[in-house]
Amino acid sequence: MAITAEEAREHKDEFAITCCRFEAGEEIKPSNLEDPNIVPDLEDSGLLEIPENCLKIGEVLGAKLKVTVDALTPLTPDLVEGLKETVAEKKEEVEESFKEKEVEERVVPIKGIRDSEYVRIHIGEGKDINLDIPVCISQGFGADTKSENIVKDSALELKEDSDEDKIIRTLTRKHFEIDEVKFGDETKIQGTTLYIRENIVEEAIDSQDLVTNIELDIITPDRYGEYSNTIMDVQPIAVKEEGGLGEGITRVIDGAVVVVTGTDEKGVQIGEFGSSEGEIDRNVLFNRPGSPDDGDILIKTNVTIKEGKNMERPGPMAAHRATDVITQEIREVLKKADEELIVNEEEFVQKHRAKRKKVVIVKEIMGQGAMHDNFIMPDEPVGTLGAKANVDLGNVPIVVTPLQILDGCIHALTCIGPASKETSRHYFREPLVLETMNDEDIDLLAVVLVGSPQANNEKFYVSRLLGTTVEAMNVDGAIVTTEGFGNNHIDFASHIEEIGKRDIPVVGMTFSGVQGELVVGNKYMDAMIDLNKSRQGIENEILSNNCLTKEDAKRALAMLKAKMAGETIKKAERKWSSDIKMNNIALIEKATGEKIELEPNETLLKMSEKRKKIYEKDK
Amino acid sequence: MNVKIYLRQHVGVASTPTVEENEEVLRGQLIAKPKGLGSNIHSSVHGVVKKVSKDFIEIDGFDKQNEEFVKIKETDNYLEAIKEAGVVGAGGAGFPTHVKLDTSLKGGYVIANAAECEPTLEHNMKLLEEDPEVVIRGLKYVMKITNASKAFIVIKPKNKKAMISIARKIKENRKIEIKFLPDLYPSGDERVILREVLGVELEPGKLPLEANAVVCNVETLKNITLAIEDRKPVIEKDITIGGKIEGAKNGKVFLNVPIGVSTESMINKTGEVIKPYGEIIMGGAFTGSRGNLNSTITKTTGGIAITESFPTAKTSFGILACECGAQEERLEEIAAEMGGEVVASTKCARMVKVGNQYKCEKPGVCPGQAKKILELKKNGAKAVLVGTCQD
Repeated sequence: MAITAEEAREHKDEFAITCCRFEAGEEIKPSNLEDPNIVPDLEDSGLLEIPENCLKIGEVLGAKLKVTVDALTPLTPDLVEGLKETVAEKKEEVEESFKEKEVEERVVPIKGIRDSEYVRIHIGEGKDINLDIPVCISQGFGADTKSENIVKDSALELKEDSDEDKIIRTLTRKHFEIDEVKFGDETKIQGTTLYIRENIVEEAIDSQDLVTNIELDIITPDRYGEYSNTIMDVQPIAVKEEGGLGEGITRVIDGAVVVVTGTDEKGVQIGEFGSSEGEIDRNVLFNRPGSPDDGDILIKTNVTIKEGKNMERPGPMAAHRATDVITQEIREVLKKADEELIVNEEEFVQKHRAKRKKVVIVKEIMGQGAMHDNFIMPDEPVGTLGAKANVDLGNVPIVVTPLQILDGCIHALTCIGPASKETSRHYFREPLVLETMNDEDIDLLAVVLVGSPQANNEKFYVSRLLGTTVEAMNVDGAIVTTEGFGNNHIDFASHIEEIGKRDIPVVGMTFSGVQGELVVGNKYMDAMIDLNKSRQGIENEILSNNCLTKEDAKRALAMLKAKMAGETIKKAERKWSSDIKMNNIALIEKATGEKIELEPNETLLKMSEKRKKIYEKDK
Repeated sequence: MNVKIYLRQHVGVASTPTVEENEEVLRGQLIAKPKGLGSNIHSSVHGVVKKVSKDFIEIDGFDKQNEEFVKIKETDNYLEAIKEAGVVGAGGAGFPTHVKLDTSLKGGYVIANAAECEPTLEHNMKLLEEDPEVVIRGLKYVMKITNASKAFIVIKPKNKKAMISIARKIKENRKIEIKFLPDLYPSGDERVILREVLGVELEPGKLPLEANAVVCNVETLKNITLAIEDRKPVIEKDITIGGKIEGAKNGKVFLNVPIGVSTESMINKTGEVIKPYGEIIMGGAFTGSRGNLNSTITKTTGGIAITESFPTAKTSFGILACECGAQEERLEEIAAEMGGEVVASTKCARMVKVGNQYKCEKPGVCPGQAKKILELKKNGAKAVLVGTCQD
């Protein structure tokens, strides 16, 4: 359809295609031209082939048609006379989603504070002068009005930005190696052996009305070839030694993880869109942030819940809570385990990086109800006790620290079967949070969790709240991630819009590939990272296959830096192709001199029956 | 749900009922068949026959309806299936499709008419957007039946979404091609299409067969596919409702409306009628005819339009009739509605007599009408009502 003069200006560098039949001699106006937004669709459907010498909209406006042309004719110099001499020669060299240039390490002057506005306290001579300067400005606490004045102004000065980097807090992880898990009379850790009390299963069953049975199994690597019901979650076993979630010391077990699986009484998998049941080694992509590492012992519960409850919210929740009865007992012994058994200590540092670009990470988490939910802020890492479900919290944005994410502040209730959903362990090892937090060019302020509700009006509701939350942070850039695809893309797009319209550069990350094509879009979604790793660009129900990894985090950060530096991001190709990603990786490697390790995908695994029959008939 | 199914919904003679009053019928059951040129007619609901007249069969539908239907009987070939299913030209003409397709084009052309020419109508576009494949399969069946070597889908480029939707599905097919029609009325006319696509000017009254082509509306193609693949008779119609009605001012599409339901029930499904209104037109704005709340959907009903009130013009009208638009009878009706009187009547210069009908020589290429206007004026006309498609 014809375009308006304004659209013509906006798209002056896009191809000029006629929208209807036009007669020779007619002057070319915006109303004669096709909307550039649908040109890719026209090309894709074979209705249009654009020749190399096709003119741009900015060039043809005002020119005259020499011959009568049919609708959907790409205008070329031989069809038009009186062309404008414009910048037609300017061609982009980089066939890519973003340009090569890295962000300049330029120190941005702090807005709003001129030298003269500083309050200078000069004390010429004196003794025992103590100035207690509170960080917050509240009213009425200074007894003496004079000192209150000083206090206020000094606090203001502090708040804007300090000149120096500052460690906000640290989190220490103490690792305990476990290489054997056995059943015993009591739960205990002895050396590198973890004993689990044999009769704990009955207590776990009794703890939940909806749970009718639990089989607790200890899967050692030699049994990875065995069948498992759909994996609902992979959880690290961790407990606080000191401090609350996100600070202090956390103890964690290496070499063994808890895996929640289950069905209802009729054997129906607890999963909605897809499920990962089958031989473990064919349905799990090991070594992803969210999956078991190759060699991990799987402490696997196979929970049976009442018939038909697999698709209702209390069903999967009960399976998780029952499993957590077992995990909680292990946590308690881990808490008391001998210091001698610590094999490794790791420190995570949350830093304020002065005068660097301030960035916020927004993680959209599932909140449609049923098995799309998450427990937030449990007492213990990835626990259930003390936590609230984000569905109950109304899916509204919740601000947490990067260290809280890495300390298990999310217990994922998401139906994990699909390859693009994030497990609890994923958050515990969240690569984007890690990369951003450790990036010397970036001052990571916070992580915002926002649920993805079921109803559209609620989606926009939480999205508007996200907009105001991010606005209040006064950031220079944002990265929005989501898990899964389809329904949640509506709010994902809306989040990006809410941030983008506040003039904040924003990068989006989602599984898209072929199957997860975005259903909606807006003009702020011009910098997107596709999390797909599968060969065909599809959701192939292999655990964690298409989840966010380190390589994705690096691409997102590079893209965000480019965008914050005012670079334009090149439009992606119309059709999904892994070449785009490979190109981006090559560009980043070239610019930074750092090699980026690419994650392997399902082609590494033996092929399951499901893949043979459903997804990969071509193989 | 009560339905009133007319026995003449096609070109030809009225079909003869094969059911009796008080008889129970199933959805899809044959209820009338033609003696001579015509089409089989099937019940669009499960119910009991309430009344059988020479013009229609009324059926009292049961409260509970479902998607099940009586399949048409086994047939030897595609053409027979199309005949059994009672497929007729759904674009409005209603010519029995099995008769039209009973020909060998020996390498000629099949044209899928997706012009959807009448203003506001958009159910054909909706069909192409939602299910282009059912249309393409129908097109392929017709190619096979008629031994055609090439098919065209003609569409106005302004209908981008529909066009892209169907183009995607035929991308790899070298035998089917999309052709653009100019965005004007009556570019959906068969003869306009042949002129635009094949460059052939058909004489008035001649059929596309003369140019070795058949033209089928896209909904007819859908019905052909359903008859052949699902053994489903024609018991539903796609329609557009538009005009002075809440929620459908710019047209609202209903796909698969049971044949025989009343205009009133369709209006109730759409929204409040905005009063005052002029009339209810069954069909498109140009070629439709006046209906009322009791009018029913037939195999050829394209739309229901609730029009603006008629302006008052108590004057002497001259009328100028046109094949593509309103003809004398319709123009007289409108003049009367405005309170005027018809004092003179003539036809557009392009109209030529073919048999006992007037046909246009060059549809869509309209002549100047000065001579005709002077003629009307001479005969006392103070105002002119024109049925011509262009001014």
